[in-house]
Amino acid sequence: MKGAELVIKLLEQKGVEHIFGYPGGAIMPIYDALYQSKVKHYLCRHEQGGAFSAIGYARSSGKVGVCMATSGPGATNLITSLADALLDSVPLVAITGQVSQAVMGTDAFQEVDVLGLSLAVTKHSFMVTDVTELEHTLNEAFELAMSGRPGPVLVDIPKDVQLAEVQFKPRLVEDADTAQQEFLPTVALEQARLLIQNAKRPIAYIGGGVHMADAVSQLQDFLAQSPMPSVTTLKAMGTVPPSNPYYLGMLGMHGTQAANLAVQQCDLLICLGARFDDRVTGKLAAFAPDAKVIHIDIDPAELHKLRHAECAMLGDLRQLLPAMSVPTHCEDWLKHCLSMKQQHGWRYDHPGERIFAPLMLKQLSERMPDNAVVCCDVGQHQMWVAQHMSFSHPRNHLSSGGLGTMGFGLPAAIGAQLARPKDTVLAVSGDGSFMMNVQELGTIKRFRLPVKIVIVDNQRLGMVKQWQELFFNERYSETDLSDNPDFVSLAAAFAIPGHSISRKDEVLPALEAMFTWPGPYLLHVRIDETDNVWPLVPPGAANQDMLTEKAQ
Amino acid sequence: MSTANHVLTIQTKNQPVVLERLLQVTRYRGFEVAGMEMKPMADFSGLLVTLSIVSDKPISLLTNQLNKLYDIEYLDCVESQQTQAEAGSMRA
Repeated sequence: MKGAELVIKLLEQKGVEHIFGYPGGAIMPIYDALYQSKVKHYLCRHEQGGAFSAIGYARSSGKVGVCMATSGPGATNLITSLADALLDSVPLVAITGQVSQAVMGTDAFQEVDVLGLSLAVTKHSFMVTDVTELEHTLNEAFELAMSGRPGPVLVDIPKDVQLAEVQFKPRLVEDADTAQQEFLPTVALEQARLLIQNAKRPIAYIGGGVHMADAVSQLQDFLAQSPMPSVTTLKAMGTVPPSNPYYLGMLGMHGTQAANLAVQQCDLLICLGARFDDRVTGKLAAFAPDAKVIHIDIDPAELHKLRHAECAMLGDLRQLLPAMSVPTHCEDWLKHCLSMKQQHGWRYDHPGERIFAPLMLKQLSERMPDNAVVCCDVGQHQMWVAQHMSFSHPRNHLSSGGLGTMGFGLPAAIGAQLARPKDTVLAVSGDGSFMMNVQELGTIKRFRLPVKIVIVDNQRLGMVKQWQELFFNERYSETDLSDNPDFVSLAAAFAIPGHSISRKDEVLPALEAMFTWPGPYLLHVRIDETDNVWPLVPPGAANQDMLTEKAQ
Repeated sequence: MSTANHVLTIQTKNQPVVLERLLQVTRYRGFEVAGMEMKPMADFSGLLVTLSIVSDKPISLLTNQLNKLYDIEYLDCVESQQTQAEAGSMRA
């Protein structure tokens, strides 16, 4: 068979059911091999959208996402999504066509150095120069994408390699033993248990590494056996059930006051699969200033990178968490944190008729079906979702955390809907973000995907506008979007029904209409441009120095 | 200014992009290359690269990142005491 056929046969062998992409000259042999394949291809309307759909597919399912693009502009359009996957540790395999090796390096039509471009935005990247290496390289790509700290892997395949003849014998897929017993660091574990037993004010700081290690149940067992307050990063929301009384919510720049204050007051910070990101820590030197640190991660480069840990452990959280469980002695601290949680609870008594986005999102959260997936974009609405919506699992909340990529939400929702066809999938977007990958409405139309789109529209690039208001003397440079299109009419052009609301009393009927509609639906929610996200830790400030508009 | 200097001895797979990858990671992580030597291994199965690194940051911040690279087979790090001025003359 030809190399191009091998690519598709290998995807089939690996059990890949859905891939996302866009064809073009240098990848035509692979698209020809795809024709009538068992692998279902979803034609996106921009390669960035296709790769974000693959990311949404991966993040909502725990599987590897796969996307394809042609050489040159097809490949460069993938770059932002690859960077997004790298910073959020998403297992992704990107396959790009490349011009034939005979003309590589001649500035051929649609030729660009994809391997060079990929260096900064992938976990690893390959170029296949000999068709006999193709099978091994693709296998390595899938293994690398999932192993250790997951991430994106790119495989660039010149057209002549796609057209070359090669032998390929399909193999039975063996079930990998994913529960390999690792050597446990007994000394460090004993040190960690002692630190936990002796702590008066311990707190668990939980990151996306917990669910990526498939250790959510072990984490919940750990918190049951070693009761302590917990906080999560944006990526880890849903790891601790909202019903846990000692769960204080998200920490960091727009975290809850209780979460940030508790972390600042703790004497033991147990960092689990998180990386002391600057949006979490605020002023790093003032972060959790009295705390000793236990840090567990699968990536050795994260240990001691930004904060020295008194006890650092490299390994699998599924095995380390049960081994670290020990009774705590912090009843007064638990009471104190409960008290802070009550004192700083959210308030929704917003005056007037206008829609208050936090309340609308809380109502959305309360009415969405169990196990619904919410895909966010980036900006004020993203932070309001994190603050005011509840999630039962981190795979139900997809948000571009590390890269903060506007345009993520809509295509990610497409991927999530395909990965989980029985679950309701929502794309909650801002008016700025929505327009960044609006072309993917065409993908929703083509495949009649029942994605529910909620646009929180303040006719501004809201988060930038908020910073201009607070830190740039109200000089609103290039953040006015008051010439937005009519979003309901825009959706109608893609045969997607919709409705626009601007008053509080319209919210519940509109949500009801959206959820009862059997197909895709767009709800346009107009909010006031002056609404801001609170609390906010100003740049360079310590987390206890949050700005608040008023009591939350 | 007194700056820690390190010599990294690195054995890589035989991949065409491996040198760029090493240098990209080194630059991005904020370390300065003061000298570099490269030669193929005797059996041409990979490359032997020696990097002289100047930085006031802990070298582990770089070696931990380099050790993660798929193409790196082996990495050894030796500290040498050198000043920034000496490193500069070495580059010249």
